[in-house]
Amino acid sequence: MKYQAVEKTVIVDGVEISYRTSGPANERLPLVLVHGTAGSIDSHFGFLFPMMAFRQRVIGINLAEPKGDKIELEQFVAQVSAVINAEVPDGCVTLLGYSMGAPIAAKTAYELGEKVTNLILVAGYMKTDTHQKLRGHIWTSLYNEGSPLVKNFMSFNAFSPFHMRSRSLEDMLAGTAKMNITPFLAKQVDLNTRVDVLAECEQLQTRTLVVALSDDFSCPKHHSKAMFGTIINASYTEIATGHAVVHERPAELFYHVNRFCNDPECYPVGKIVPAPKP
Amino acid sequence: MIVSKKILIIGAGFTGLGTAIKLLKAGQDDFVVIERRGDVGGVWLDNNYPGIACDVPSHFYSFSFRLNPNWSTIQSPGGEIQEYLRVCAQEEGIMPFIRFNTEMEECRWDPAAKHWVVKTNHDTYHAKFLLTGAGHLADEFMPDIEGLDTFPGHVFHSARWDHSVDLKGKRIGVVGSGASAVQIVPEMQKIASELVVFQRSAPYMNLRNLHLYSEAEQRTFERNPDVMEHLRAWVFWFGEEQYAQRRMVPKYLEDAKKVAMTHMESQISDPELRKIMTPAYEIGCKRRLSSSGYYPAVSSPNVKVEPSALARIEGSKAFGTTGAGYEVDALVFATGFEAVRMPFTTRIFNGEGVSLDEHWESGMQALDAIAVAGYPNLFVIYGPNTGLGSNSAVYVIESQVDYVISALEYLEENQLEVFEAKAEAEEQFMDHIHEVAEGTVWLDGGCSSWYVDDRSGRLTVIWPDFPHIFREENSQFKPEGFVLSA
Repeated sequence: MKYQAVEKTVIVDGVEISYRTSGPANERLPLVLVHGTAGSIDSHFGFLFPMMAFRQRVIGINLAEPKGDKIELEQFVAQVSAVINAEVPDGCVTLLGYSMGAPIAAKTAYELGEKVTNLILVAGYMKTDTHQKLRGHIWTSLYNEGSPLVKNFMSFNAFSPFHMRSRSLEDMLAGTAKMNITPFLAKQVDLNTRVDVLAECEQLQTRTLVVALSDDFSCPKHHSKAMFGTIINASYTEIATGHAVVHERPAELFYHVNRFCNDPECYPVGKIVPAPKP
Repeated sequence: MIVSKKILIIGAGFTGLGTAIKLLKAGQDDFVVIERRGDVGGVWLDNNYPGIACDVPSHFYSFSFRLNPNWSTIQSPGGEIQEYLRVCAQEEGIMPFIRFNTEMEECRWDPAAKHWVVKTNHDTYHAKFLLTGAGHLADEFMPDIEGLDTFPGHVFHSARWDHSVDLKGKRIGVVGSGASAVQIVPEMQKIASELVVFQRSAPYMNLRNLHLYSEAEQRTFERNPDVMEHLRAWVFWFGEEQYAQRRMVPKYLEDAKKVAMTHMESQISDPELRKIMTPAYEIGCKRRLSSSGYYPAVSSPNVKVEPSALARIEGSKAFGTTGAGYEVDALVFATGFEAVRMPFTTRIFNGEGVSLDEHWESGMQALDAIAVAGYPNLFVIYGPNTGLGSNSAVYVIESQVDYVISALEYLEENQLEVFEAKAEAEEQFMDHIHEVAEGTVWLDGGCSSWYVDDRSGRLTVIWPDFPHIFREENSQFKPEGFVLSA
């Protein structure tokens, strides 16, 4: 089986949304992937998308910049809903949101009801707290000053100390240099300081797997624990990485996503499922 | 003398010892381990050539239930691994169960008595269950080279190193450029007057991390076992990530190639040698190697890389298939192992007298990578489709040992004595394996490797999916695939 993907677009509120599909249609529900802040299908799901596509149908979305000075979460929710309805007009899906994609996915699941049968929330949060507001404040200050440190600050928050320990400072700085700091990103950072989907999560009935990251300095795991407690049909697991699990340990993330997509009962409701011990 | 045992295990390497330890932990002590050598260690006892080391980090290339804080370096020397296994055997109480210097001569299933009759150079055993722990790397592969029998110098295989031969100042030929060769060549370069490497195909190679653990680091591991667990997990999931490259996802292929080629170009400046050392196949099709000393060694003035396989010997001259000849005093064959047709299979017979080797005439295969239709009560560990291209063999072995334990428990609980894989279940399992294997770098990477059986063109040595999927699918006995009887 060769990896092949199809690129498509859909228009939402006059904005073109690009998305990608791949993988065989089978008994598994199509998996829809929503990336996080500063992300894309390639940068956040460069591993997960193709590897899941060898096993089932996958749909990845590149969130696009809506018109206007500020972004509201609803605008991204509309983009995700539009792609789901375009690609899966009749059936149901498993929806995965990573980082900022998690509250987007939670709100989408709330709005689409049973169409989103399963939900996976990775390194997510329901409501911005002071820690995140301070992070947003520092980021925005550096951005407004035109400081190159804004990239280093992102990297510092993204990776775990353990991950950094196996690399040199030069490696880390070289990695951050590739980041693209845009006005769209600034709007996403601003949105991050105003997220609140607590009410929707309280009412969600969707079967949900919450994946927390134990060394996450962007969305510390207390957010995931809160989601685990709030969403009635949630289960919980942890991966020992920083926020950038998609770069630090994408294969362990794949392990959980693949198992959950194959059989959500591997993650009993209300239970903390321990990490596998190799 | 005839000795009756419930379980007979062949080999005292990682598989045999791991099984024995887990059997004891599960309360089973009616077993014996037969070992042809005089010590434990298996492949790490046989292979003791200069420079031998494991290319998987030791904190993961070890039993999950016997963590070792004292590894001297990230990828430990072979002798240290063998010592680790000896300590495991001693401290877990396995030594009394091992019959050393005991060669399996023949195993034959007796359908009437419902047991295996295992003849050795000492006793004959009657065992209800037979478990082979010989694996892919038990018996060396020696190519049939014209004129080799007339070669006047020293000849030996890397797995049977002749330490009595002083190679200092000699003209040495190393045949092969695989995992053993890249460890041997830097050592031979130091002592040879001239060294020629017969390279059939160039390997991809990453820089080996030579970090030595300090006493403080070892004490940190000892005092904080969770640090070792964390390191194990990190190594494991990094290995799992490499599977995307074996699956030929373009970005991962490109990244992996860039790392390997950057390493090569940073260590070799001669453009001609670079050309010779550039592989002509996709990365991962053959085992990707790691070394810090190989490229500097082959760049040395006393070393020549012959870009072809060894073709023939005339007197003391060794010729490559290009026709180039080299005067040598000694030939070291680093030509790997009989992995596709494991020699021990010629000595295992079913109730109809058919050897496992004959049964596998078009390639080896087994249900759940462990049980063979027609061969009751036989567990083949680290046999068909168990090799990993991206992770530790010990992980697979432990998974299979768990399978054995669960099978024995199931049979006992249900008062059953005989299991035999259903042929249709085995075929179904193999169809799935071959379907997954399609499109992987092992089949489509444009190389000829020991992972593929030439007779069928099928991938019979390698597990073609994620290693963690191996454990998910093949670490628990699934009775529906078997004919079971009391």
